[in-house]
Amino acid sequence: MAKEQSNVSDLLPLLESSDLHELDQIKSVLNDHLGTERGSVLLNGLVDYYLETSSPQAILILCSVREPHDKHLLDKLNECMAKPACRLPTLTLLGHVIRKQPPWMHKITRFPLLTSLLKCLKTDSDVVVLITGVLVLITLLPVIPQAGKQHIYDFFDIFGRLASWSLKNPGHVHGVYLIHLHASVYSLFHRLYGMYPCNFVSYLRSHYSMKENVDTFEEVVKPMLGHVRIHPELVTGTNDYELDPSRWKRFEIHDIVIECAKVSLDPKEASCEEGYSSMPDRVTIHHHPHLRSGLDYTASPYTDFLSSFGSSASTPLSVGRPPLSLSLPQLPGTQSSLCSPHTSFHQNQHCEVDPAGNKVSMWSPCSDCGMTTPPTSRGISPANVPELSQSASHAPSQTASTSGGKCLSPAPTLSNEFEHLCSTPNTTNQLKQKPSGEEERGNPEVISKGAAGESVKTMSLTELSDFIKEQDLDIQRMENEHDEDAITEELLKLTEQKHKADRSFYSTTETLTGHQEKEMLLTTSNQSLNKEARRLVSTPDKSECSAGGGDQQLPWSFRPCFTPIDNLLTGFSTSQSPYRAEEEGGSGLANYGLFSSPSIFRDPVNPVYEPLFELALPRAASLFVGRKTSVALAQRAAGDEGERNASKGEEEGDEMAALSPLEVLDRLIQHGNEAYEKVLKRLPMPNKSVDWTHFGGTTPLDELHTLRSQVLLLHNQLLYERYKREQHAIRNRRLLRRIINATAMEEQNNSMKAQLKLQDIEIQSLQASLVEEQQRYRRLKEDGDTETACLHSQFQQLQQGHDLYLSKAQKLQSELQECQSNMGELEAELQKANNEAYNTGHQLTQLSLKLTNSENLQQQMYLLNKQLLLLGETNKLAIQEVQRLGPESSKGLQMLQSSMGKEQECLRQSMLQQTQGLEAAQQRIGDLEAQLAKKEHLILEQKLFLEEVKGQTKGQLQASESRYLAMRRVTQVLQTEMLQLYSQLDAEMLTTNQSLSESDTIEPSSAPPGTSRPNGSSSRTVPTAQGSSDRRTQAWPPGNGGTLPPGGGAQSTTSVTLNGSLKQPPLLSEMSPTHLAAFPLSLSPAGTPFTVGTYPSAKSFLGMHARELFCNKSDSQCDGDEDTQLSSLSHSLVVGEESSESTENVQSSPFPPPATGTPPHSLPAAAPPSQGSAQSALAQEPPPSDSQQLRAHHGQGARPRASAAAAARQRRKDLRIMDYNETQQEHI
Amino acid sequence: MAEDPQRNFRSAYYEKVGFRGVEEKKSLEILLKDNPLDVEKLSTFSQRFPLPSMYRIHVWKVLLGILPPHSDSHSLVGGYRREQYQDVLEALKVMRFVHMATPQTQVYLRMFQLESQVLPRRSDTSAPDEEDEDFLSIARAMEEIVEDPMDCYWLIKSFVNQFNNKFGDSIPHLPKSLEHYLSVEEPRLLNHLKNTGALAMLPYSLWFRRCFAGCLPESSLQRVWDKVISGSCKILVFVAMEILLSYKIVVMGTSRPEGVVSILCNVSDVIIIGSAGGLRLFSPFCLPITLICFSPLLPDAPREH
Repeated sequence: MAKEQSNVSDLLPLLESSDLHELDQIKSVLNDHLGTERGSVLLNGLVDYYLETSSPQAILILCSVREPHDKHLLDKLNECMAKPACRLPTLTLLGHVIRKQPPWMHKITRFPLLTSLLKCLKTDSDVVVLITGVLVLITLLPVIPQAGKQHIYDFFDIFGRLASWSLKNPGHVHGVYLIHLHASVYSLFHRLYGMYPCNFVSYLRSHYSMKENVDTFEEVVKPMLGHVRIHPELVTGTNDYELDPSRWKRFEIHDIVIECAKVSLDPKEASCEEGYSSMPDRVTIHHHPHLRSGLDYTASPYTDFLSSFGSSASTPLSVGRPPLSLSLPQLPGTQSSLCSPHTSFHQNQHCEVDPAGNKVSMWSPCSDCGMTTPPTSRGISPANVPELSQSASHAPSQTASTSGGKCLSPAPTLSNEFEHLCSTPNTTNQLKQKPSGEEERGNPEVISKGAAGESVKTMSLTELSDFIKEQDLDIQRMENEHDEDAITEELLKLTEQKHKADRSFYSTTETLTGHQEKEMLLTTSNQSLNKEARRLVSTPDKSECSAGGGDQQLPWSFRPCFTPIDNLLTGFSTSQSPYRAEEEGGSGLANYGLFSSPSIFRDPVNPVYEPLFELALPRAASLFVGRKTSVALAQRAAGDEGERNASKGEEEGDEMAALSPLEVLDRLIQHGNEAYEKVLKRLPMPNKSVDWTHFGGTTPLDELHTLRSQVLLLHNQLLYERYKREQHAIRNRRLLRRIINATAMEEQNNSMKAQLKLQDIEIQSLQASLVEEQQRYRRLKEDGDTETACLHSQFQQLQQGHDLYLSKAQKLQSELQECQSNMGELEAELQKANNEAYNTGHQLTQLSLKLTNSENLQQQMYLLNKQLLLLGETNKLAIQEVQRLGPESSKGLQMLQSSMGKEQECLRQSMLQQTQGLEAAQQRIGDLEAQLAKKEHLILEQKLFLEEVKGQTKGQLQASESRYLAMRRVTQVLQTEMLQLYSQLDAEMLTTNQSLSESDTIEPSSAPPGTSRPNGSSSRTVPTAQGSSDRRTQAWPPGNGGTLPPGGGAQSTTSVTLNGSLKQPPLLSEMSPTHLAAFPLSLSPAGTPFTVGTYPSAKSFLGMHARELFCNKSDSQCDGDEDTQLSSLSHSLVVGEESSESTENVQSSPFPPPATGTPPHSLPAAAPPSQGSAQSALAQEPPPSDSQQLRAHHGQGARPRASAAAAARQRRKDLRIMDYNETQQEHI
Repeated sequence: MAEDPQRNFRSAYYEKVGFRGVEEKKSLEILLKDNPLDVEKLSTFSQRFPLPSMYRIHVWKVLLGILPPHSDSHSLVGGYRREQYQDVLEALKVMRFVHMATPQTQVYLRMFQLESQVLPRRSDTSAPDEEDEDFLSIARAMEEIVEDPMDCYWLIKSFVNQFNNKFGDSIPHLPKSLEHYLSVEEPRLLNHLKNTGALAMLPYSLWFRRCFAGCLPESSLQRVWDKVISGSCKILVFVAMEILLSYKIVVMGTSRPEGVVSILCNVSDVIIIGSAGGLRLFSPFCLPITLICFSPLLPDAPREH
């Protein structure tokens, strides 16, 4: 680290290297080191290096020191300050640093450096150090305004000391130093007065109220006070308020600088802006020694007048001039002789100008503005001419700033610098006046050139006298110097304003005037050519000035060759050309020494914004550069004068009091320059230094030192002035921005105004149209009114007519009504009459009817009367007859009648009875018929039921019949079987007894069975014997029957059959018990017929039937069930049938039917031939008929039997019907 | 019958698809529900439709008069019939005409003879004559049909009686009728029969006296007998003709009359089916056994009442 440190420190000497690349490298290394390291070693080394070598590279590095190193730097500086030897370079370095204005600079109040600086200023006696320190302090004061609270009295003390120092000169320094010191004090005064007016004034009051200081006040401070105007803070502020740090917070450094400059009346020190119109004041200042009282009067009204006219801008020249011109004669006094030519000349010039302006009528607006009055008023002194122009241009500029582009054109014309005539006519609408302007411009140019040149020459060469040299010339010179500076300054301002205006104008009319820019480019290209030419022109001017020594000519000559040429080349070239000329001629002017290193002080400042300016705002940049140039020139002039003054001596002390110390300084420099020029002219050798040494031999050391220190001081002063200029530049930039904004706003305003105007026009047109419309409307309304009125009248007329008609109609209506009523009445009357007529007619007819009726009645009456008569006669006759007949006949008749009535009544009653009876009978008949129908129906039902029952019973009967038949067959078969068996037995017996033939013939069943058969035969034989005996005993009924076979009828036959049937049961009953047991079934039916047969034997079939029927209902003797009854009934029927059948069979049989008694005998006779031997025995048996029947059946087939059955059935049916009828009757 | 509202409305369709016995059973039941049974209707029904087997015996009984039309007296009459049967049977047993070993048909024959008063003496029991053979064959067929011997006897007896009573006169004319129909239907066969001389030798007694008993199988026989019992003897002619027609080829193939007879006597595997056009014989394995004889198609069908 330390090694590196040392290495870095070793690099310091290399800063002086001529190799730029190496230099840059070293610089960067150092800066890097400073940026990375916090130590103070390198910084201290740098400071020491600077103090040794005063290297500009070191200054550059030190000026750009950053935050952490500020402390080291300030400490180091403080440390160095303690050493008197290196105090001056320290202060110089400090000044550099302060002017650089690093951001940490405000911290200086906290470091002891400030205190040591103040202390140095208070105590040090080296004038160079003091001057340097004061300048540093002045520069420092705006940076640390708040420090005034602590150090204000230090500042005042320093001021007091230095003020007295400059007067008393305790160090007995050279006068040149005093001038420098005075200038420094002057600046300090301004700074203090500007920053702390109250405190400073109170300090001045307290400090210079002391007697020992009165001289100083009178000599030094009072003239200074003359250069300031009263500070507003003296009125409004207080001592404490001034020191309040919060007051300064809103101020920037350049603000403070400008604030201080504002209160200054010294053009060197002051700034002329923001309403602090220093021009009128300056007039008073300039003429202060002589015309203070007078001019103050004129000045104040003038300012008022000016301001008033500035606003109105309508006062003619004639109005403004008379009072001023009237006052002018009173002003000059002693100067009239000198001033008159100037004024005359100037007035001539003006007269020339004015008539030209009047002629061309282009100047009328300018004169109207009232800006031409000041030049006339100040045309007294030739030195005031530029000021006039300046003021004149200033006023319009002010107005221009407010009123806009319209006033731009008058402003240049007023200033007599016709530069604007080339530009403005193009821009404004005064295009017609352009040629005239050019003419005019040409004229003054020639005039001014010629006049100026002549006057200068005459002035400088012919009228150069000692007195003039001593007094007037000096004054003039001073004034000229002053004027020159003012001219340059004002010129710059003018151009600036103009450029601002132009620029604003260009901004607005860029589209319209695009070609103008081209023109400008052309002019810039031409400018380079013109530049050289002008330099050629300018340098001779300078040589002339220096050669002629005419102080007056210099500005005059300088200005014409300066400005008109510029004017020819447009404002741009004018502003730029001096700068370039100066720059190019810088090397040529190196003998001044001041410009030996212009890049040193110019480059660090400018590079930041100059290129930008040139790029963005070329006019503003050129303006700025031009201003710098003028400053440089002024300084150069001042330096010349200083030298001159130095060479000439210090006789001008009195004048200096009146003059501004800066002017004194300028003059000193100018003198020096002149002296130097003279010396140079005298010397043939180009080398000055060699010449110097060669010329003056060994130059005294003191002289050398003085000169060196002077150069140093000048350098300091220059730096200070540059610093001031920078502040101004900063401020100007800000103002420029403001102006740009303002112009932009203006443009906006203008456009809005134009819009407003358009709208106004529109509104007007609308209003016009409105008015028109209103008129039309009114007209229409009137028309409508008249029409309505007309219509109204018509309507009224019609109404009246209508009313009339209405009344008429009403009248007619009433008449009509009347007529109608009349009609109604008439009609009523008519009707009445009609009624009457009808009534009468009706009455008439009635009457006629009555009449006819009465006639008829009369006839009837007549007839009736006749009848009556006849009746009366007949009555008479009848009475006679009655009387004749007597009363008897009538009595009989009456009786007859009564009897007849009675009879009739009886008959009627009987008839009634009969009818009633008839009705009853009929009813009865109906009832009976109904009953009958019911009964019939019932009978029908019964019949149906009976039929059904019959059907049923028939079926049952058939079944039972078939069963019976079957039984019979069975029994028959059994009997045959039995017989066969018997025959077999008999045959066996016969074979045994050998009586086969006998037994076979007669009575086979009589005796033998009982004997022959041991088992059962006896019993069987008995019944047969009994049967036969029975048959014998009962033989007579068959015999009876046999006797009466044909007519016996059914009764007999039945009886026979009954008998026949009766014959069998005993036969059966006589059977052996074994047989009976073997045939239980056959026994039981056999039993029933027996009972039946026994019971009703004596009765007929019908009786038996009826009895059976009754037995059904009532209790009968037979207690057997219905089955048995039915069976018995059916049996009886069947038996009847059978018997009849048998009889029929017997009768119908081919065999002769034997009598009932005989069959047993006959049958055996028939049997043997047919049946064989076995049959013969059977034939003897009681039922031969049966066997015969069987045989017949068997032999003849079913046919005969069927027919017989059919016949029997038929008969039975008949019987049944009969029975039915009987039973029905019975039932009913 | 057809307009009976209680009948199933589907009955019309049953016939169309071939189920013929469905509705007949129902209508028959309706008929049997009448209290006095309408014998005429029953006979008509029986002629038109094949009787259901479950009602066949009953209907036959009614039609043959074994049971009266009044159903109330059925039990009584049934009792009578039973008694009668038992009496007769007992008598025969007593008379030793029958014994335990006697075949039932013989018993029936004796009983019939007894009731018909033609019972021969036991001593001169001769071989059964033609009439007895007829009866026996019928009894055999009936015995197969009916299970109860009493019913069987009564049916046999009534059937034989009715047949003899009703058609006894017309039976001798039946061969002529057969000849006539055959000449209408199949003259070639008739000619063939005539030519071969088989016509006279056809088993007429088998066909017309025994009513195909022992010739046709039981099921077919039942149907034929339905018609016979209901009063039609023409059915016998038609059946005979159908038999002839169905065995036409065979018959035509044989020229010997004996062969023809032997063929015709064994037609047990033939089933008689009546169709609209007449009667047809079909193979037994084809269709259910039915025989329908429409009375209008039987022009000579005797109408008793």
